[in-house]
Amino acid sequence: MLDAIISTRELLGRVDELLRTQRVIGPVRRDVPDATPPVRWFYEPVSSARQLDLGFAYCVYSPKQYLLPPRETLLEFHRTPDGFSARPVSDAQPTALIGVHPCDLHALVTLDRAFSHNGDDEHYQARRRRLLIVGVDCGKPCTPGVYCADMRANVADEGFDVMLQPLGAGADVERFGVRFGSPRGRAWLEAGGGCERPTAADERAADAWQERKEASFGRTLTTAHEDLPAMMARSYDSLIWEATARRCYSCGSCNLVCPTCYCFDVHDELDLSLQEGRRCREWDGCQLQDFALVAGGHNFRSKAAARLRHRLMRKSKWIGERTGGKGCVGCARCDRACTARISTVEIYNQLAEEV
Amino acid sequence: MKPRIAIFSLTSCEGCSLAILELENELLDLLGAVEIVNFREGMTERSWDIDVGFVDGAVSTPEDEREVTRYRACCKTLVAIGACACLGGVNTLKNRQEMESYRTYVYGERARWFPTTDARPISAVVKVDYELPGCPMNNREFLRLVKCLLAGVPFALPNYAVCVECKKAGNLCLYERGQMCLGPVTRAGCNAICPHYGSKCEACRGLLGAEALAAARLNMREIWKVDEERVLADLRLYGAYQGDGSKP
Repeated sequence: MLDAIISTRELLGRVDELLRTQRVIGPVRRDVPDATPPVRWFYEPVSSARQLDLGFAYCVYSPKQYLLPPRETLLEFHRTPDGFSARPVSDAQPTALIGVHPCDLHALVTLDRAFSHNGDDEHYQARRRRLLIVGVDCGKPCTPGVYCADMRANVADEGFDVMLQPLGAGADVERFGVRFGSPRGRAWLEAGGGCERPTAADERAADAWQERKEASFGRTLTTAHEDLPAMMARSYDSLIWEATARRCYSCGSCNLVCPTCYCFDVHDELDLSLQEGRRCREWDGCQLQDFALVAGGHNFRSKAAARLRHRLMRKSKWIGERTGGKGCVGCARCDRACTARISTVEIYNQLAEEV
Repeated sequence: MKPRIAIFSLTSCEGCSLAILELENELLDLLGAVEIVNFREGMTERSWDIDVGFVDGAVSTPEDEREVTRYRACCKTLVAIGACACLGGVNTLKNRQEMESYRTYVYGERARWFPTTDARPISAVVKVDYELPGCPMNNREFLRLVKCLLAGVPFALPNYAVCVECKKAGNLCLYERGQMCLGPVTRAGCNAICPHYGSKCEACRGLLGAEALAAARLNMREIWKVDEERVLADLRLYGAYQGDGSKP
């Protein structure tokens, strides 16, 4: 059921209205002549709604950097005669994220849960509270190799303030079907007076669009989504980890491009005066050699095979068990980022064949 | 008492020494925290009572050997800065050629005036306490080491690949643009500056370890079908020195 209909022109007008008071992030197309295909999309700040390309295939990076930046300052401290004093630092600013596909919406839900698990992470939540999320549905697999349908992440019913469904076909979509996910989303979109009531014909068009979408997504995993955690539990001692890890650089690219990877490292930086400094956090990754290095010099995952297994266990089983969100949304960014061409799906299917 | 600092140069372009002078915004704070007592690029005075000595350049001549031995004797802490001092750097390209042929090529009929040896990292000659690799070294990393030394806390280089910093910078992977970047096997710490500006990583900060290198051998052959000789040529640009006398 649709809540409203809005024309592309009215929608872009509403985005331009947002730009008067806040930062707007969305898919921006970049030409890359020496890549195949010669175009990529990135989530970037825009200064006009027309810079957004809502018909994008996929963004190279997920939007997680706008909630969990690659590097951030958590607090600043300075020494005092009797110790030190510290004050929290936050760069949270009102932001609208326009144009998020269902896979990344699921991933944002996972992050929300991870950063409210065992108490709120104030730096994350300060950004989250100020974030308006506008999803846009994808009508077909954005690129070969994705397995979002296998992970039940190609359709999203939560994680957005507004969800847009392109009506009609082709690149120049003139109208969107709208579902509201929050009163805030509804208030923003309806304020312009450009929302229309959906007609019976609109509802039929939207249903037909969803049917075409469902039919266009194939399946590549041989294990059903609900059986994946149990299958992985049986695969813990498989020799496939060792065999696959021979090709692994432990470069961590899979972690860093993953929309549900949220591990970080915290360290202190000092000024030359040694009187002032800041506590910073940065993205970390479980594939990196020193990730599991602890005091005393022991590394409890010193081999690439153990780290590879750990990542896939997290993606298929552990993150889900801990947060209730999806550990993997099937976007295949990890597979595309891997210069050793290690394929997550291939590993899952090989393991399934074995057990 | 402020720590007494010296900056020395062996066979190199001295770009790493210059990188210290390029810390324009921090230079006054730096001089507030340390005293520079010997620095050919920056001053005429010379003192040999030194707490921390920074050395750029490779050991490439008998004179370099004598010099670096003197630095070691005069400096309580000795730091190798830059690819030449840490790895041997581009100077080591000559190690794969006949000595007479490169000496004549460079110095012509006066070659005998300029005795030379294989180029080596300074750790091949004297004990080195810290290394700041890169061509040039990253002067932010230099500052980080200085602050660690001042505060008396441990210093360590990043023990992960350039890919980490490249992803944090939001770059499109150069493999997607058909370039065989050495980022996956190279130690980070440069903020992936070369890939960020579209040039593949050339491993000027040295290789990460045996596991990554073994993976590279497999992947270059089986996934990317690249001629092994071509990859080795890339790796030799900064890393031709192997320490065991072998010529990779």
